[in-house]
Amino acid sequence: MAKLRYIDALALALREEMRRDPNVFLVGEEVGQYQGTLELSKGFLEEFGKTRVVDTPISEVGIIGLGIGAAMAGLRPVCEMMRMDFATPAYDQIVQHAAKIRYMFGGQFQVPMVIRGPSGVGLQLSAQHSQAIEVLFAHIPGLKVVVPATPADAKGLLLTAIRDNNPVMVLESLRMYFMKPDDLEAIQPGLSEVPDDPDFSVPLGQANVLREGKDVTIVAYSWMVIQALKAANELAKEGISAEVIDLRTLLPLDMNTVLASIKKTHRAVVVQEQWPLYGCAAEISAQIGERAFYDLDSPVMRVTGAFVPMPYAKNLENLAFPTEVDIIAAAKRTLGGK
Amino acid sequence: MAKGQKAALDAAKYRRFYEQMVHIREFEEECLRAFQRGGHGIGGYLHLYSGEEAIAVGIIGALDLSAGDCLIGHYRDHAYALAVGSPPGPVMAEICGKYDGCSKGKGGSMHICDAERGFYGGYGIVGGNVPIALGLGWALKYRQQAGVAVCFFGDGSMNQGAFHETLNMAQLYKVPVLFVLENNGYAMGTSIERSHANTDLTDRVSSYNMNRKKIDGQNIVTVYEEVSKIVADMKANPAPFFLECDTYRFHGHGAADEAKQTVVYRTKAEIEAAKANRDPIAIAAEILLEAGVITDDDIVRIHEEAVVEAKAAMKFSDDSPVPPADELLKDVYA
Ligand SMILES: Cc1ncc(C[n+]2csc(CCOP(=O)(O)OP(=O)(O)O)c2C)c(N)n1
Repeated sequence: MAKLRYIDALALALREEMRRDPNVFLVGEEVGQYQGTLELSKGFLEEFGKTRVVDTPISEVGIIGLGIGAAMAGLRPVCEMMRMDFATPAYDQIVQHAAKIRYMFGGQFQVPMVIRGPSGVGLQLSAQHSQAIEVLFAHIPGLKVVVPATPADAKGLLLTAIRDNNPVMVLESLRMYFMKPDDLEAIQPGLSEVPDDPDFSVPLGQANVLREGKDVTIVAYSWMVIQALKAANELAKEGISAEVIDLRTLLPLDMNTVLASIKKTHRAVVVQEQWPLYGCAAEISAQIGERAFYDLDSPVMRVTGAFVPMPYAKNLENLAFPTEVDIIAAAKRTLGGK
Repeated sequence: MAKGQKAALDAAKYRRFYEQMVHIREFEEECLRAFQRGGHGIGGYLHLYSGEEAIAVGIIGALDLSAGDCLIGHYRDHAYALAVGSPPGPVMAEICGKYDGCSKGKGGSMHICDAERGFYGGYGIVGGNVPIALGLGWALKYRQQAGVAVCFFGDGSMNQGAFHETLNMAQLYKVPVLFVLENNGYAMGTSIERSHANTDLTDRVSSYNMNRKKIDGQNIVTVYEEVSKIVADMKANPAPFFLECDTYRFHGHGAADEAKQTVVYRTKAEIEAAKANRDPIAIAAEILLEAGVITDDDIVRIHEEAVVEAKAAMKFSDDSPVPPADELLKDVYA
């Protein structure tokens, strides 16, 4: 197994699928000549040429629309949003069109496309460039929503997303892009390893128990998985054994893995980067309440970002999103701490 | 007006324009150095205006902000604030995320504003500010105020649908918005040849029946004189206007792609040639010297003052505290 950076694992999945399937193409701003703003598509233009690595104007509606029509006509577009924040100008195409076309035409058309890009908060990018907006998509029937946390999942889930016959939103973690394999290995051995098999894929809708434990279940996804693992390491030092579940995809949502874990630990902390109201953590907590109430020894705790547009100043930004410290505190509260 | 052309210029006004351009340049060079050395609180994106100063200074110089004229910009926005007369300290403090910043440190470099002086802010979504300008102009018309709303944007915005919806409505309702295209030839790493099916961008808006013109954005005299006429006309007969200013940006798209630019989208020679031949400050110096508006000594003095002012702005910012923790939850709702 190779130790890879998250961004290289994403690039690998995309490159391998483009080599394997001539219907797959990449379209977005600065993906070709500029080599990708974060260099994910470095070398792609040379390898695949201009019709399969398409540089576009700053026209998100056009990019997504191009993807939808091409997908309806049988191609498999991968639309890159330079940042997922820029999918909001194209929200109408995604929500009103991509998500609904199959259903409203009685199954006659399908829209096998991927809309992907870096997402998440932090790095002092301020209110319009720093947000976790996955729930805006996870609320919509017809879409699938993928949120990989590790290099292996980045590869395996992106591969599955491209092969899926539905519109799939892949919200990558911008912060993970900048993590080196050694940083990840220091948090948990094996965290940066990606299987060598070029066909390695991860099914959508199957959560991953990344760390086993018996006292409390921490449910997280994307960048918050890293925070959860760090929290679990700290809790272990105090004799608290935390199980860490990476949801991997929000739509479909795998509650069975979560519920099985709670049967074992009887306590749950649900962590998300984004705004608390109506969020992913709210949904998961509600489902735990409905389906595992009698397994619980304490109320489910939510750990979320603050209900504010992201501030620029570093000190305020640090207060606005959750870290391992918040997760540790929440886990202790489920165990009777204050 | 061409270089070398003799003209009677309003000396006090042009001396002030020249000072403003030099002060903006030095302010931003100070920002870049602070970004590169770190430790001042600047993070994230930093988009500099160097090379484009004559546009903000000339256009804002032609407005009457105290009588209701106003403006809105995009993320390359430091110059708009400095040109409306915002004190440099709070602008720098904002860029550094400090509490004395004009947005209390909550907006950063891309979201500078000055409500008191009619600057409705910088926005981070390409094309996102353009429809808002329609509303600013609408309010002027609604209140029967003889003013104009100026909207600054780059060529990238013209590829957003929002831009075209806005121009159509502005012309339909005769809303007094001056749409100012700062055409520096590139949107990030994409040249206009690679992103516009028709690279004559003034021609691109012809389908809206809107008054329009393309001018040299590097010449402060041209910018000021042309815009003064346009604004006077817009006030006499309210209607929108599309103005393309031909310009060039000397730095990378943002401080972070300073090194990458010459590898992936433009040559060092092209940038050097623009710096040598199209620097709005050098062009202004030449015209103003010839017109007797400034002297060589003035040029040296103005430059020195600008350096001192930029350093003072950074000192102001360094001395300002970071925002207090309870600021996090403030300002979400009115
Ligand atoms: C909707 C949207 N898409 C993409 C971006 C990323 N982005 C920021 S600035 C920029 C280039 C804009 O160029 P232009 O409008 O020509 O203005 P300039 O930077 O040249 O002043 C891009 C692609 C964004 N901020 N918003």
